[in-house]
Amino acid sequence: MNNWKPVTVVMEREGETLEFPKLNTALQLLNKLGLGVNDALIIRGDELLTPDRKIHTGDDIIVRTVVSRG
Amino acid sequence: MKCSRCKAPAQVALPSHHGGFCPDCFQGFFARQVERAIHKHRMFTKDDKVLVALSGGKDSLALFLELVRQGYDVTGLHIDLGIPGSSGPARAKVEGFCERVGGTLRVVEMEGEGLPIPLVRDKVRRPICSMCGKIKRYFFNKVALDEGYSALCTGHNLDDEVGRLFANTLRWDVSYLSDQGPLLPAAGGFASKCRPLYRLTEFETAAYCFFNGIDHHVSACPYSKGASFTVRKELMNLLERNSPGSKRAFYEGFLKQGRPAFAAVEKEEGRTLEPCQRCGYPTSAEICGVCRVREMLE
Repeated sequence: MNNWKPVTVVMEREGETLEFPKLNTALQLLNKLGLGVNDALIIRGDELLTPDRKIHTGDDIIVRTVVSRG
Repeated sequence: MKCSRCKAPAQVALPSHHGGFCPDCFQGFFARQVERAIHKHRMFTKDDKVLVALSGGKDSLALFLELVRQGYDVTGLHIDLGIPGSSGPARAKVEGFCERVGGTLRVVEMEGEGLPIPLVRDKVRRPICSMCGKIKRYFFNKVALDEGYSALCTGHNLDDEVGRLFANTLRWDVSYLSDQGPLLPAAGGFASKCRPLYRLTEFETAAYCFFNGIDHHVSACPYSKGASFTVRKELMNLLERNSPGSKRAFYEGFLKQGRPAFAAVEKEEGRTLEPCQRCGYPTSAEICGVCRVREMLE
């Protein structure tokens, strides 16, 4: 039985949900989204992920961009 | 990544500080930055009555919570701008937050003042962000002076300050460059204005809100689309990405070496302010900008 699940990424401000078949690290996610290390909080559950943290298949991630726009 | 202080797993990476922090050590770092800003610039003491402008966004709520924790006598001030679909949710966040932390809140409604922002936008042919900012600053100052507060704090962070400095520099605006900084002392009909978060970035205030469960207003103002300040912030972020610490260096360097020079020029050549003939608050014209807006709406 195949239990594989993609990584689900909710872009909080944009109200979009993205799916990635595989992501290695939080930094890779930031790069894919065109964001810098301090441009967004990468949230998994009740913790923030630093760029070096591993992301696993099936993880639910929230991306909260931090630039206020008035 | 390990926490630079206690070696527990880090949750916040700060390239400009060459390290990272676990949640507990990050909160200590955040508190020290606020404390250092207040003390270094002698903003206010624990004997002072301090008014904190609360928009409902992450920065102002984070500032309020930190000042409460540090034992300052703070009151929140929220300006309800009367913008449909935006002002209501922002106000609800502020009210919910103040109830949660046990903070005193004062609300001024622009509808009641005859200055709802949608009407200002329709009637005044000037950029609405500029007019809205002018009106908010007017009421921040009015409430602080009328109600006897020693200091007025806003949640401007390092990114806000650097973005503004960049804009002022692009225009070589001597008047604005002469007094931009974390503290503008009380003078000539203006309350003392303080920016205790000037050492902290937007990322850091966002992380502080996350660790403290602060439920802040996230949606952008519906009128701010295309505002020039967002472009400047993006440019500065690009610079920071390639050269961590450049924002801080630009701002601190300005405070030390740039501002005194502009202040000297402004002292010689700057405009003097007089009380507005209508409301009595300071202005460089006979009638202040807010009273002129009121006239246009009548």
